[in-house]
Amino acid sequence: MKKILVVDDEANIRILYADELAEEGYEVVTAANTAEAVEKLQESEFDLTVLDIKLKNESGIELLQKLVKERHDMPVILCSAFSCYKDDFSAWLADGYIVKSGNLDELKQEIARVLEKKSQRVKVGI
Amino acid sequence: MDWECCWNRDYVAPGDCPHVFADEDEELLLSKQARILEKCCECDRFKRDLINFRNSGNPWASVVFIINEEYLLQKAQIQSLISFLDNKTLEVRFLHELGSVLQSSVDLDEVLSVALTAITAGKGFGMNRAFLLLVNREEAQLKGHLAIGPRNIEEASQAWDEISRNDLDLKTLAQNFRKNKLTAEKAKFHDVLEQLSIPFSNHEHILIKALESRHPLLVEHAFLNPEVDLEFARLLNVDTFLIMPLISRNRKVGLIIADNCITHRPISAEDMQSLETFTFTVAFAIERAALYDRLQVELNKATEANNKLKEQQELIVKMEKMALVGRITSSIAHSIRNPLMIIGGFARSILKNTPSTDPKKNYIESILGEASQLERVLDEILNYSDSLYPTKDFWDVNQLVESSIRDAQKLFLEKGWVCHFNHADGLPMVYVDFKQVSYCVRALIQNDLEGRTGEEVGVKVYEYYGDVRIVIEDYGHKISQEEIDKLLTPFSETNEMGNGLGVALCRSMLEKQGVPLDVFASPEGGITYTITLPTRKEEQL
Repeated sequence: MKKILVVDDEANIRILYADELAEEGYEVVTAANTAEAVEKLQESEFDLTVLDIKLKNESGIELLQKLVKERHDMPVILCSAFSCYKDDFSAWLADGYIVKSGNLDELKQEIARVLEKKSQRVKVGI
Repeated sequence: MDWECCWNRDYVAPGDCPHVFADEDEELLLSKQARILEKCCECDRFKRDLINFRNSGNPWASVVFIINEEYLLQKAQIQSLISFLDNKTLEVRFLHELGSVLQSSVDLDEVLSVALTAITAGKGFGMNRAFLLLVNREEAQLKGHLAIGPRNIEEASQAWDEISRNDLDLKTLAQNFRKNKLTAEKAKFHDVLEQLSIPFSNHEHILIKALESRHPLLVEHAFLNPEVDLEFARLLNVDTFLIMPLISRNRKVGLIIADNCITHRPISAEDMQSLETFTFTVAFAIERAALYDRLQVELNKATEANNKLKEQQELIVKMEKMALVGRITSSIAHSIRNPLMIIGGFARSILKNTPSTDPKKNYIESILGEASQLERVLDEILNYSDSLYPTKDFWDVNQLVESSIRDAQKLFLEKGWVCHFNHADGLPMVYVDFKQVSYCVRALIQNDLEGRTGEEVGVKVYEYYGDVRIVIEDYGHKISQEEIDKLLTPFSETNEMGNGLGVALCRSMLEKQGVPLDVFASPEGGITYTITLPTRKEEQL
């Protein structure tokens, strides 16, 4: 079972993601802020992180940069309420990007696409 | 002794004296003193009386003779001085008039017209011809600028006739010259003026020498004068001419060459003196007018810079406002998007596990529908915020349209819509914000098909007078012009949020990029949206 870390400062969004992604067959762990996310990442290995760009008083981009540097084998999908973050150069470090929506189909498709891509990379030994 | 002259008579009758006439001043007839001083001393009869008196052996005779000679001499000198003073008075009056005219002008052409008219006018210095050369510091040379005067005797006679017919003052003469003859004189002397360009480095040239000496120079026997370049003498084609340097506040402004090429009247030392006084005023006026010209240029530059600065300031204020709008919309996005997502997401979760027989299923679907609708409105608001900052570049219009259609492909399939695109080869690249234009193309197609099923829409691209057009047209969708107008009005009362903003927002976004959007409804049915895209940057237009 693929393990996904969801980082979002909104409790209800964490619950929604956890429920919906669990239904899709993923094991979901959630974190409300950067410190909690780092702690969870140290505790266990994750196949993917879904990260909100704008956390309360924090920037998800900074956590993204840290993850890319220290956990470059783990893909990250950025979530945002505002599509213009796609234009932010730092956001290009992420493996996927979605604009938040009540319809989680796009998020699910993006997770599947990124995990598939990762598995193919592992197969060819990149 | 018998006296031939009437000097010893107390009074004379008209006809007694050959020098006193009946219509003359009566005092001469009645006053012996007046008659002796004014008339007798120069009368031949009086002279003969004096000789007879001297021959008579009277010792006083020689004294009277000497006194008379001295008196005649002094009288002649006084007459000469009076004449000189009269001339000087006229000259001072002329210079005063000239000074008044020159002081009141800051226009270089007007100053030059006055100066050259003054030199050549009969009421002025009465020279036949004058050339003005100005110092060109950038090119380091003395350069012919203007000339005045006749080129031959026929032309001179014609000009003098004209002047004698109209008794005009200097100012009027100069005004007439500027108005009617300045351009013609420049053209007339164009060939000579063209050749009157002497580099400062040519220290042997008579003009450069005169300019450096800062004093007027009368050149005589020009064709034989070793100081004068023969080619220069031939160019002026005159034997005698006067060179007057124009010096203002120790700065060399230029020089004037004046001659009497038609009348060949000799140029006197007095002419030189008068002209030298005149050149001080002229040099100062020319320099002042030239400075005024430069000042005008600088003023224009400063005004232009000020206008640009104002534009920049307005732009900064506008950008600050836009940035504020951006921050507000960003804040709204985060404040609204998350709750909407939670409402929609949970409604969707609940709906999945709700049996179709459950009466609450409709309510949940309504919640989901409304949340989706609000999400679309939010997208439009955020897109408008995006449109405040267009990022333009050159793009392939075929790729742009294909990308827009591809993005909407899923929706087309869901709704059973068909979109036909006519790819066109050889089109120039368009200079636009790719994201915004592709959003508009997508939105216009969707807007056109919204609310209908199984409809078709066609998209074509083609070159149009150097620009490129994207035309989106449906087949058979009937709509009135009034409805089109409402479609183009944001939030008009017939439009609902989420689909009514579409066309109005597209027009607003495109217009911000200088891209026109035209909407045409055919009476037979069908709407045509035409977007005309530029192929050049603004500065290339």
